[in-house]
Amino acid sequence: MTARIARWSLLLLTVFLLAVWLPRAKDLLFEYRFGKTDLFYSPVLERFVYKELLGEGHQFVYRDQDGQDYGREAFEALIPFIYYKNMELWGKLPLELAGQRFDKAAIQGERLVLQLDPDELPDHRPRIQLFPLLEANPGRARLRFPEDIMRPGERLGFIGSDANRLDPELTRSFSEAMTEAGFRFPVRTTFGRVSILKPFDAGYFLVDDDGRLFHLKRVDSEPVVTPVPLPEGLVVRHVKVTENKRGEFLGLLLARDGRLFLLGQEDYALTPLPLPDYDPDRMALKILFNPLNRTAIYSDRTDVFAVAMDRDFRPIDRYQREMAMARPRLVDRTWDALLPFSLTLQDPNSRYLALDLRLHGPSALVGLLLALLPAYWLLRRRGLHGLAPIPSLLFVAVTGFYGLIALLLFPPERNLQPQRATHRTAGAPPLGSVVDGGH
Amino acid sequence: MLRAMFLKEWLKLRWALLGLLLVHVAMLAYLFLSVRHQFQVEHSEMIWYWSFELRRLLYDQVMLLPALTGAVTAVAQFGPEMVGGRFRLSLHLPVRGDLLVWSWVAVGAGVGAVLAVLDAAGLYGIIALFFPREAAASAVLTALPWLLGGWVAYFGTTLVLLEPAMRQRVVYLMLGLAFLGLLYLQRGYQEYDRILPALAALSLLFVPAVILPAHRYRHRS
Repeated sequence: MTARIARWSLLLLTVFLLAVWLPRAKDLLFEYRFGKTDLFYSPVLERFVYKELLGEGHQFVYRDQDGQDYGREAFEALIPFIYYKNMELWGKLPLELAGQRFDKAAIQGERLVLQLDPDELPDHRPRIQLFPLLEANPGRARLRFPEDIMRPGERLGFIGSDANRLDPELTRSFSEAMTEAGFRFPVRTTFGRVSILKPFDAGYFLVDDDGRLFHLKRVDSEPVVTPVPLPEGLVVRHVKVTENKRGEFLGLLLARDGRLFLLGQEDYALTPLPLPDYDPDRMALKILFNPLNRTAIYSDRTDVFAVAMDRDFRPIDRYQREMAMARPRLVDRTWDALLPFSLTLQDPNSRYLALDLRLHGPSALVGLLLALLPAYWLLRRRGLHGLAPIPSLLFVAVTGFYGLIALLLFPPERNLQPQRATHRTAGAPPLGSVVDGGH
Repeated sequence: MLRAMFLKEWLKLRWALLGLLLVHVAMLAYLFLSVRHQFQVEHSEMIWYWSFELRRLLYDQVMLLPALTGAVTAVAQFGPEMVGGRFRLSLHLPVRGDLLVWSWVAVGAGVGAVLAVLDAAGLYGIIALFFPREAAASAVLTALPWLLGGWVAYFGTTLVLLEPAMRQRVVYLMLGLAFLGLLYLQRGYQEYDRILPALAALSLLFVPAVILPAHRYRHRS
């Protein structure tokens, strides 16, 4: 019996490993740089335009939403705020659009890109909960990391990096400042941008035990804490801090219910973004600012969505299309027909590894049937008759070619006559019954 | 009988165990020196930034140590058994063959567990000298899949050594390597936190699996 359990353990282990490694090998062999569709709102056409790779090589199309094709230069001229440096090179600046003139400085002053990717969300990535709180008024040209690090918890601890010890004075002064501002410890979550390569430091946003949001900065070595007013019922899931020179918005605030807001830099005003079908857990989002419009573009691995808005974030147009990269190729269809499922460990939307089972659907029946025929032949050749091959055949019926390969690697023992088997094992205690012998 | 078996395993393992212990202590000493060196040549706050934000692992020198330990332990235990058909003699002892093999692997896995605890404690202690405790705990969590790699390497090597047929040995080798390959996919810290219980559960399949090559050895060689 134990030998039979051993063999089945190996069969399961083999199927698991094949279901992980064969799809990885297929990707290694056949994956191609299709990438996502680049979608924009053209202030010239007042229509959506996109650039997409349709096939191998450089089969790019530059197209508008009505199917009109353009050359590359003509396409770039349709989105002149994106390609303003080319416009300058080609002598097309200043631009005249919607009855207004825009020179290089006006375009640069309005340009901004805010991004939020699924793998940035706090529950999509592990993060050691220690954050350097930079001096927001460094009195010099560039920011620098402090020699201590902030530990948000039951209080706001500060640990000196040279001695690796808690700094009691900093801990006391910052914790007291938080409490005086109405913060209720412990700190639930901390959001900020840990970098010195930014125009200024906006510090951190911290959620207290009551779910309220506070803004903390270190200014001239002193704590500056400001409560951030939130609409009734809003539960903060994430704050993406993006310090930028434009000065209007400090970043994005994602609510637990999926609503997304722009966070005002001066007054913390929340501007709701109208993003139908947006799913932050699996969609990458970009918000493009130009002097005339704001465009939100978000996509998963299949579809790309866009909402064009006016300067006040009122929607003026919407568009959605299936990306070329999502259309199954012959190799994908063949693969899905040959194998019943795939296991992936790496999730493009998360830094955590996860076991993700993808069923290949009804087309996989082809592979299951094809795998069953040689499996039956193999089992017959091993002398299994009657009901004996049924468990192995059921195994292959569920696991397809994975199971067939496992069966070939760990075949059942040939069906021996019991007397002969007994004779061969005589003189030693049994190690386990004959493996799947059947009779 | 059981005491005699454990004595035999101890006699087989003692020198390998001493060697492994020295290698582990040497690796931990090297880890301590290399982290200390980092803090001597770079500013501490920058190293903390690399570690927490850029997710550099300052301790990945020890990544393959548990796998090496698992393989060496299995060779020390089962290599001698495969010389001159000694394994066949062992299978004639008045005890069930499967229990005999499992008791051997229990000893080997126990030795691996002791060394894994040493590694984890050493890693925590060394990282805690230079980083806050959160980073030390994170280092141990990050190292858990590598420690599981020791378990997989031990059982993979055991399967290869117990197997009498060369073709099946290659199959077991590929199986062990394929599983090991799943445990070193990290790009930063703690990325296995959510998947490790599933991988650990799947690796338990190796425990019953070791009976099959022993069974084949008994019945075919």
